Amino acid sequence: MQEIYWPSVFFLLFSGISCAFAVGVLLSQNIVRMAFYLVLSLAATSGLFFLAGADFVGAMQLMIYVGGTLVLLIFGVMLTSQERFIEMHTWAGDWVKAFLAGGALLFILVSAAFSVPAWQSMDRAEAEAVVASKTVTPLGMGLLGVRVDKPEEPDAARRDGMAGYLFQFEIVSVHLLVVLIGAAYLARAKRKRDLPAVQSDGSQ
Amino acid sequence: MDPASNLPMLLMGAWLVPLVSFVLILFFGKHMGSHGKYAGHLATLAIVTSAVLSFTAMFGVWLPSHPLPGAAHHGEEHDGEHAEEGGNLHVSLGTSTAGLETQFTVHPVAFLADDSHAQDDSHEAPNDHAAGEAHGHDAHANNGAPISHSGEWYTICKFGSLKLTIGYYIDSLTVTMFCMVSLIASCVHFYAIGYMHDELHDFTDPEVTMRDGKKLKRPGRFYRFFQYLSLFCFSMFGIVIAGNLAMVFIFWELVGICSYFLIGFYIERKSASTAANKAFIVNRVGDFGMLIGMMALWSSLGTFNFGDTTDAEGKIVERGMFSQLHTEENGYRLQPTESMIAEEKRMCPAHSDSIIESSAESASSDVHAPPKNTAGQWLLFIGGVGVFCGCVGKSAQFPLHVWLPDAMEGPTPVSALVHSATMVAAGVYLVGRFFPVFTPEALLVIAYIGCITLLIAATIAITATDIKRVLAYSTVSQLGYMMLSLGLGGWVAGMFHLITHAFFKGLLFMCSGSVIHGVHTNDMTEMGGLRKKMPITAYTMLAGCLAIIGAGIPLSTIGFSGYYSKDAIIEQAFSFGSQNPGHVILQWAPVVGAFITAFYMFRLWYMTFAGEPRNQHRYDHAHESPKVMTVPLVVLAVFAIGIGWTLPGTNLKVTNLLEQSRPIGTLATSQGTLLPDLVIPDEHLSHEWEIKKPAGIAAFSTAAMGLLLATIIYLWKKLNPDELKQSFKPVHGFLWNKWWFDEIYGALIIAPTMLLARLVSRFDLGIIDAILHGSAAVCKGLSKVVYAVFDRTVVDGMVDGIAGVTWDLGLGLRKIQTGSLRQYIMFIVIGTVVLFIAISVVQNTGLVGSLGTDLTN
Amino acid sequence: MQNLILANLLTEPIGVAHYVVVSAFMFTCGVLCMATKRNVLGVLMGVELVLNAASINLIAFGSPFLRNDANSLGLDGQLMTLFVIVLAAAEAAVALAIALNFYNNHDSIDVDRADELLG
Repeated sequence: MQEIYWPSVFFLLFSGISCAFAVGVLLSQNIVRMAFYLVLSLAATSGLFFLAGADFVGAMQLMIYVGGTLVLLIFGVMLTSQERFIEMHTWAGDWVKAFLAGGALLFILVSAAFSVPAWQSMDRAEAEAVVASKTVTPLGMGLLGVRVDKPEEPDAARRDGMAGYLFQFEIVSVHLLVVLIGAAYLARAKRKRDLPAVQSDGSQ
Repeated sequence: MDPASNLPMLLMGAWLVPLVSFVLILFFGKHMGSHGKYAGHLATLAIVTSAVLSFTAMFGVWLPSHPLPGAAHHGEEHDGEHAEEGGNLHVSLGTSTAGLETQFTVHPVAFLADDSHAQDDSHEAPNDHAAGEAHGHDAHANNGAPISHSGEWYTICKFGSLKLTIGYYIDSLTVTMFCMVSLIASCVHFYAIGYMHDELHDFTDPEVTMRDGKKLKRPGRFYRFFQYLSLFCFSMFGIVIAGNLAMVFIFWELVGICSYFLIGFYIERKSASTAANKAFIVNRVGDFGMLIGMMALWSSLGTFNFGDTTDAEGKIVERGMFSQLHTEENGYRLQPTESMIAEEKRMCPAHSDSIIESSAESASSDVHAPPKNTAGQWLLFIGGVGVFCGCVGKSAQFPLHVWLPDAMEGPTPVSALVHSATMVAAGVYLVGRFFPVFTPEALLVIAYIGCITLLIAATIAITATDIKRVLAYSTVSQLGYMMLSLGLGGWVAGMFHLITHAFFKGLLFMCSGSVIHGVHTNDMTEMGGLRKKMPITAYTMLAGCLAIIGAGIPLSTIGFSGYYSKDAIIEQAFSFGSQNPGHVILQWAPVVGAFITAFYMFRLWYMTFAGEPRNQHRYDHAHESPKVMTVPLVVLAVFAIGIGWTLPGTNLKVTNLLEQSRPIGTLATSQGTLLPDLVIPDEHLSHEWEIKKPAGIAAFSTAAMGLLLATIIYLWKKLNPDELKQSFKPVHGFLWNKWWFDEIYGALIIAPTMLLARLVSRFDLGIIDAILHGSAAVCKGLSKVVYAVFDRTVVDGMVDGIAGVTWDLGLGLRKIQTGSLRQYIMFIVIGTVVLFIAISVVQNTGLVGSLGTDLTN
Repeated sequence: MQNLILANLLTEPIGVAHYVVVSAFMFTCGVLCMATKRNVLGVLMGVELVLNAASINLIAFGSPFLRNDANSLGLDGQLMTLFVIVLAAAEAAVALAIALNFYNNHDSIDVDRADELLG
């Protein structure tokens, strides 16, 4: 028997948690529970990220997803959480149809995942030889337009593709700004018009 | 004063002023005073201006620059002395009786020979006397072109060689006609202002009964009457001044349409509108002949112009009709032109030699050789008779005379104008103007037509009781006189009678209008004794009657105007008869006509003015007409009496004026070509005492007998006219019904035409319509079948099918488009799965190898 | 070797394929979530799961521990993941606004009531 390879064990642990809670999200009828399961699932995913050597991204996953997006979602749940919407049953027919289609999709994806030889595991020695490195600095430089990770790429064609992500970063920034303004506008304008209805709802 | 430039200017002014008046009244007539009262004044002013301009042209320009013959040319003198005038060749006759007697003994054909310059020697012997005279020119030389001024104002259009222009041809006849027309028209205008005053307010037409039994009441049309009168005068002036045949035709038709308007002035009266239609249609019949004549002449002569066209230096550029037919080389005799016989030459070349020969020699000694250039003669004959056809229509000659008496339906001033100066004068004027183109045969036709007209109309006038109808038939009869005279070669006599007749007939009509105005009826049997009530009318009319019967001292120079002209005609008839024994009827017809004329004219006067009133009621209400009507009567009466006289102290008289414009080549005696025996005698021969004496006596005695007979019957009442009527019942009926002309035309022309029209209409309705309806029905049936079989199934099926498929497809797709978010997600999933399956299938079968290799990398 | 995947899982290093399987599973869960939840927020959670699955894939393809060959995404995968996370946050904000709006308009958050797009 070989020595236990701990990264694999942790992989199984994190992947098991995230998949299990993803199934929980899928199967749960209660919206509040769904939100809770999702938080756990996403948090477990960040563990997967750490295992894959993406420490900064894993941290971002925890902060933005778990700490930001999901809080937003839960706000939404709370704002709309009237009794009748907490649990909404799906028709049995829908379940059947969804599982048939989802099963097919899953089968295809999994078979595809195992059909590519390059995606198989490395040898243990090879894997242990890999030196972990901090990714924060290269990521920050990459977002500013400088790729420090592969400056000595011999292939000229590949070097062209190694430009930084400054431009995309700017676009995403502006996009984020627009989205925030738009979301605020969408949510606010309608509510104002339907203010009496909301008030009457509140009085109930 | 330069006549060549001033005359056209003056006469154009006189011509266009009525047009201006017409246009003004046309546009503003309604607003000229109440009911257009001042329109009448405007029109009168216009025509008086025309008259002033015309008389200025006559006395201010024409007479000073073209002096009349120095010696008087009196009819009673044995000889006619012709001073040399203007461009005329010197013309004279033998001045001794002996010489003339000699001439008469010569066979008529010899005159032709005499005309030729080549034969001077041969006629020396019989003309010794003449040759020795002071005016010792060739006694029988033909006259050249009269003094005339011609030119063009405006070219309407040009088609190849056909050129239509507004031009003028002015000679003394033109100027005389201008004076005559404008003078009479002025009188008529003045008269009409009085006569038409009923139209100045709302007018109740007593002769039109509406469906509800009331009389028609309509607004007055005073201004419209004068509008038409102005147009009428303009048109007549246009004919007179016209420089070419085409222009004559244009104004000819204008005159026709004006007469249509005026005869149909009381358009609400059935009889008036029928009469207007009749006048118009009958004239069209004549105009058809005129068109044929125009085509015949134009196609052979290539011009419509009367006079020669000259350039600035007076050189002849293009020869007019007259000088083409009367060339100087031919001694101004009428000769068909080369172009006229060219066709015959081309058709029968074998014959052509003899034609050329004969045409070259016809003027020479071989006078007895049968003339061979008959094609040209026929062409000329057709052209002449064709143009005369137009004149027959316009001047109401047999057989187209039927419209004129019906034209009485117009207001009386119109009748006066139509019957004297304008419409009917136009026909006679055209014959006179066109005189050089008529061959002797055509002239014979004219003479016979005139003769028949003269007798028919005169006899009808005997029995008529409508005062205007008597005068109407009298007009027809007098027009017959004129045509007869022209046809017999009496050009001056005919034109002279045209002018004198215009005055006294205008007078007579206006007098009758005055009577009608006074007693409100046309029927002479309800008149009588009116001379006490309306003396001015009575005595002016008496003057007119005396003028028309030609009262005068026989064989003297004293008489009413008609005396001169009618005697001249009868003299010409005698002269003609003496040389053409075969046509003796033409000699005696005017004499008989004179008798009848005298009878019916005085029958009219006695019935109207003399004796006792036949209808006391009407007599009591009779009154003399206002001054505006009687003054023109007096003026015209003066002219009717004196127009034939010589102006004291001068040699100015109408015949001398007319002599100045004697048409080219008409002075010499001419002989027929197609009818070799026909001789149209030289007009001056009629002034010989041998002719003049019997003619004058015959004319006077017959007229006196007619007058006497009328007096016996109607004044002294020695014979009861009713008894006469009874004893001559068939004759009376025949005449009363106007020789059954209307009935004959009705049966011979109108009924067959109507029958034909009915047949054609039945053909139309029965066969053509049936074919049309049948084909329509077939089409309809066919289309129904096509509709049911093809349209309904194939086309509709196709369209409906496409639509249905699209509809169903849309409905089907609509079900997919549920709007359900979850369902869409399902579709995405299924789509992804399918995509994967498809890719894997492709990959496994190796269709796209590269994809697999990429993935394996 | 494929047969030994599970047997060797504790002693052998894991590969990209394992991550992809986890990602596929989460993706399927997210899709099924979207397809079956009647609650708008449930659908939104499904979307989050799907995006998360995509992130896992990107990280896996760029990880030096899982795959160390020339075709590795390397740092690019992590940068992409960062963008995905940011866009997911933006999408969540917009979707939440839409959901609130829908709730205000229909007085409901049942997506089956949202059938205005029905043809």
